[in-house]
Amino acid sequence: MKIVACYSNKGGVGKTAASVNLAYAFAETGSRVLLCDLDPQGASGFYFRVKPSQKLDNDAFFEEAKQVAKAIRGSDYDNLDILPANMTFRDFDVFLSRMKNSQSRLKKSLKAVGSDYDIIVLDCPPNISTLSENVLQAADLIVVPVIPTTLSERTFEQLLEFVEGQEATKVSKKKIAAFFSMVQRQKVLHGETMARMRDTYPKRILKAALPFSTDVERMGVNRAPVLAFASDRPSAKAYRQIFAEVQTRLRES
Amino acid sequence: MKQSQRSVLILPGMLADEDLGTTIGDLEIQVSQPDAETDFEILDNHIGSLQMSGQVLIRAGKTLTLLGGHEGLISQGAASKGNLVTGLKDGPVKDALQHVPPLRGLLGVGSGTISHRDLSMTDDENKTLVRAHLTTLNPKGGGDAVTIAALHPLRGYDEALEQLRDHLRASAETASPDAADLSPMLFPDQPRYNAKPDVAIVENATAWQSAGDVITVYLQVARENEAGIIADHDTEFLHDYRVALRKVRSVLSLFKGVYPEEQTAKFKGIASELMSPTGRLRDLDVYLLARDDYFAMLPPSLHKGLALMFEMFRKERRGAHRALAAHLRSSGYHSAITDLQAAFAGTDGPPKGPMADASVGDYARRLIWKRYRKVCRIARGITADTPDDQVHELRIGCKKLRYLMEFFAPLYPAAAVKPILKPLKRLQDNLGLFNDYSVQQAFLQRFMDGHEPLGHKQDLVLAQSIGALIAVLHERQKEERARIMASFSQFDGADIRSQFRSLFNAKEA
Ligand SMILES: Nc1ncnc2c1ncn2[C@@H]1O[C@H](COP(=O)(O)OP(=O)(O)OP(=O)(O)O)[C@@H](O)[C@H]1O
Ligand SMILES: [Mg+2]
Repeated sequence: MKIVACYSNKGGVGKTAASVNLAYAFAETGSRVLLCDLDPQGASGFYFRVKPSQKLDNDAFFEEAKQVAKAIRGSDYDNLDILPANMTFRDFDVFLSRMKNSQSRLKKSLKAVGSDYDIIVLDCPPNISTLSENVLQAADLIVVPVIPTTLSERTFEQLLEFVEGQEATKVSKKKIAAFFSMVQRQKVLHGETMARMRDTYPKRILKAALPFSTDVERMGVNRAPVLAFASDRPSAKAYRQIFAEVQTRLRES
Repeated sequence: MKQSQRSVLILPGMLADEDLGTTIGDLEIQVSQPDAETDFEILDNHIGSLQMSGQVLIRAGKTLTLLGGHEGLISQGAASKGNLVTGLKDGPVKDALQHVPPLRGLLGVGSGTISHRDLSMTDDENKTLVRAHLTTLNPKGGGDAVTIAALHPLRGYDEALEQLRDHLRASAETASPDAADLSPMLFPDQPRYNAKPDVAIVENATAWQSAGDVITVYLQVARENEAGIIADHDTEFLHDYRVALRKVRSVLSLFKGVYPEEQTAKFKGIASELMSPTGRLRDLDVYLLARDDYFAMLPPSLHKGLALMFEMFRKERRGAHRALAAHLRSSGYHSAITDLQAAFAGTDGPPKGPMADASVGDYARRLIWKRYRKVCRIARGITADTPDDQVHELRIGCKKLRYLMEFFAPLYPAAAVKPILKPLKRLQDNLGLFNDYSVQQAFLQRFMDGHEPLGHKQDLVLAQSIGALIAVLHERQKEERARIMASFSQFDGADIRSQFRSLFNAKEA
């Protein structure tokens, strides 16, 4: 089992959109996927029309991991389940570390209720300070959408510094896979920023870039992944390419 | 995530869209347009192995779908080599049919048209909570239409699943039958075959009545195999046909004194005449079925000759089958067997012999006890040096004993007969193999001496392989021979002896 976190220290960059489409793409290839909506706003659950489940009782969660399994909902798509937003960050940390540890009761009990997942996709909320080392450690790959602006360049640097600061606990920069999000080709600034960043971080940035697209925005109206309702459009193609590179990196990780 | 399709409902009727409605409480249901109707066929073998185990096998177009068992609905491609389960492509349906006797072909039980619809149930945000795939079977003939609903629950929506289940049941015409009852519901006129029907033998019947009952039933069994032999569906039809006729013949020879002597001889003659045209085809079937075993007996260097031999068998079989099929279709055969049936089924029945009116209980005990003692007498005389003839005599004796015990089994508690049949069966297996090996040697020798020449070189290759085969068979026969005394001494244990005595020897008991 592999954990892919869609993460950024900046809000509104396309993490949820990426989580939803990546989870869908994994499921489409036959992997069994659990998409965890970790944002209390419940955005990724919304895109799959899954109602937020009742808040899990913390103590019960720690005592009885089966509670998690009970909160999982099947999406409308084969192989794709959703864990709707219902966890506090503290729950989330524990959840992750337990999922990683194959001996953990959480993992075993999830297995016992018939959910042996190949991939867990995390849709993270936009706040670096509350995301603990634990999460960075647990993820096999951290997918970071980056809007190619000067400001984003700075935040990305901070992100890498933060990750490197975790070196002692074996979190490697190599886990970072950034992609350019909401790219507008007509903006000269976007082009310049992308070129500069690719130069500075040749290995950290995926080749594929996601264009700015009304199709992605329409996800909110259609309440489905772009890949499901506009499979042939440029944004869907970009998500597929991003997915392919993510798969390759996971295989190498 | 897709759950295993555990939940399958069998719903009598077409389950028309109007009957399904559009809502369940505040949830909506959507039903897709049915796809184009195509033909379907229900498959089972002659003995109904699938039906008896609660399975229904549907072939529609290029797909085989199996209903029943823990899996719910499973399917795979319908492509197959021949009609045996072993001929199916590997897949989940084939896996689930491993219990089916391997020599029984899958045959069409009935046919009709099939159509499919997809149903989904959604909430106020248009989220799907549960899906169902509806398959409607509309049979040709007098049967009733049936809809099979495969429920596909989505994780975490158990309540919706239950709601849909209840709704579908309520929309059906009648209560859901078991999978085992589906095929009779679709095809009520399909006759059910039983190779070993229970013949009700009751203590206070006469020997004459009981003999007549057994013969009548087994003549009927034989007849129910005629069409399958002619169509050459599988080799078991001929096998069952011969077993049934052999039972008829053994009743005639074992139930001594039930009919007048010359009448018995006449009946036996007819039964033998019915049997004799079937022998060659059955022999060839047996060899062809054991093909792999024969190849395993010889080193690869001698396989070429075996391949030649089996090719000749295959060709000969085609002719033998054609001849037997023609015979079974002939008016001569037809009148011979119907006359024989009439002789036993008629109101008067066949004439009575001196033992006709003996009560069957006493009669059976006397026959079995006598036969048992004879078997023991022969067996106790057998040593390592006894000539084979005597071993053959023992084999025949055991066979007769077994027939008698089986015929009269309904008179005795099953729990009492089973433990004494077991060592008898083991002894018989031993004797049977001993005999088979010797019969095979003779058969192969005859074949080698009498076959159409293939040309000098080929004849030599063939002769080498057959010669080697005979040598192996001879060796095996010797090994079986060496086991006979041990098998018998197991059968001849003190407890078995006392059980025989208490069951079958009223006087000494
Ligand atoms: N490629 C794109 N083109 C156009 N709009 C996009 C694109 N990607 C995302 N958006 C839109 O931008 C908004 C923010 O996207 P999204 O919710 O995926 O970001 P996020 O990083 O998860 O935000 P948050 O930090 O609030 O969780 C959404 O309205 C979404 O529809
Ligand atoms: Mg988000």
